[in-house]
Amino acid sequence: MRKLVPMILAALLAAALWSADQATLDRGKKEEQQSCTPCHSLRLIHSQRLSRATWGKEIDKMAGWGTVVPDRDALLEYLVANYGDDKPVPPPAMSEDGTGKK
Amino acid sequence: MLFDRRQIFAALAAGAAARMVRAADDSVAIPGKRPMILHNDRPEDLETPVRYFDSYLTPVDVFFVRQHIPRPAPIDPETYRLTVNGMVSKPLSLSLADLKKLPQYTVPAVLECTGNGRGFYSPKVPGIQWGRGAIGNAEWNGPRISEILKLAGASSGAAFLETDGADTGAIKTPDFIRSLPMAKALHPATLLALNMNGQPIPNLHGFPARLVVPGWDGTSSVKWVIRLSATAEPNRGFFMNPGYRYPKYALPPGTPARPAELEVIEGMPVKSTITAPEDQSKAPLGPIAIRGFAWAGEQAIERVDVSTDGGSRWREARLTGARLPFAWRLWQIEWQPTDPGYYTILSRATDSAGRVQPIVAEWNPSGYLWNAIDRVGVTVEKA
Ligand code: HEC
Repeated sequence: MRKLVPMILAALLAAALWSADQATLDRGKKEEQQSCTPCHSLRLIHSQRLSRATWGKEIDKMAGWGTVVPDRDALLEYLVANYGDDKPVPPPAMSEDGTGKK
Repeated sequence: MLFDRRQIFAALAAGAAARMVRAADDSVAIPGKRPMILHNDRPEDLETPVRYFDSYLTPVDVFFVRQHIPRPAPIDPETYRLTVNGMVSKPLSLSLADLKKLPQYTVPAVLECTGNGRGFYSPKVPGIQWGRGAIGNAEWNGPRISEILKLAGASSGAAFLETDGADTGAIKTPDFIRSLPMAKALHPATLLALNMNGQPIPNLHGFPARLVVPGWDGTSSVKWVIRLSATAEPNRGFFMNPGYRYPKYALPPGTPARPAELEVIEGMPVKSTITAPEDQSKAPLGPIAIRGFAWAGEQAIERVDVSTDGGSRWREARLTGARLPFAWRLWQIEWQPTDPGYYTILSRATDSAGRVQPIVAEWNPSGYLWNAIDRVGVTVEKA
């Protein structure tokens, strides 16, 4: 019993930490959808594999072009967690046949 | 009711976001294009899969597409006007009919994105992660820039030609404007192209008129040209500086650029690319044709050597097509592996100036000018 309490506390703490992290990532994803889509598709962003420092510079570059990023920290966490330079390069996406279209 | 900038931005963002949520995962068909490697669908950035590179002229419906900022609304050929101004004695406003009345010239030339091969650099750098296919060879046709400038009475004191495309940046993104040293603008092969492989240039490639600057990086060949200005000084916008510049002195990989030591990119390096067999493909034991293309910017391709054993031994490939600057040459070599197994195939081009494709491409912070010896792996299986 004496051991159980700290274990439960530790588990709760771990869950709280994890969910804080997950909440940040969720906020980052939302931020991306709001702030990063006016000028280009997300494909351009998601095909990159960059270090934290380079992602930071990319956000600043876009901010210099008028992008407003209220939740910069969450966006940065989200980009690093999903598109960091330690993540495998995705297989190339292919477009569908558009020769019949005008 | 008046909208302020913020509201317009918000409306734009909301509309774009709604479109994006769908487009992020869904596949996309690009009008007029066969299936291509899709790096970006808004604006379109498309890479040619190597299997389409078997012909001397790259078909328009698989030619690569590169855009920085949103594509302009389709230009009406009836109302289109080209402004020619700056250091000229007779500023002009030319219609498409006026441009067609000038003598028309045909130039076969490669266009290659400055960042073609960026995806091969390590450490990774931001930008479109092109593989081998941000390149194509086409026959361009239209009036010479030199004759348009002559018509306008361009001053001999003008040192640069500034070219503006009809595309404009969203929010505060920079307008796409490039300048070219006058000597290159006046070169007889530098065209305001109206046709590509014998047909009017499609909208994605710059209808109705695009610059073609043979031998230089693709970004020089501005699309949807609406203004040519003779100037004394080069343009200083983003796409001239810091965009499309290369370190004067090579940097340790992964280190930032030194802005004062960046130079404008001009002629392209020597390069060969293997188009068959495809990388990491399988082939039955038997005769195998190794094919590819090679080009060297303002130089001509002199030879291409191929190795099928990781670079121990090399054999000279057979070149087809004319020995020309600007255009590429296709090459081919027959190979008869004696055993099954995994083979590393390499190709190395040499040009008329004696430049040889290097083993290691020089890393640079923007990932430009990848031209390392090309390399594909193929597994030969018992037939
Ligand atoms: C105001 C318009 C605009 C917005 C909003 C915008 N971008 Fe961009 N972005 C651009 C342009 C223009 C380019 C292409 C520049 C080029 O091709 O040289 C670009 C290119 C990129 C690239 C490719 C690498 C590069 O630097 O060219 C990445 C990654 C990127 N943007 C990330 C983002 C992220 C993350 C956001 C949200 C914070 C964002 N962008 C929002 C205009 C924008």
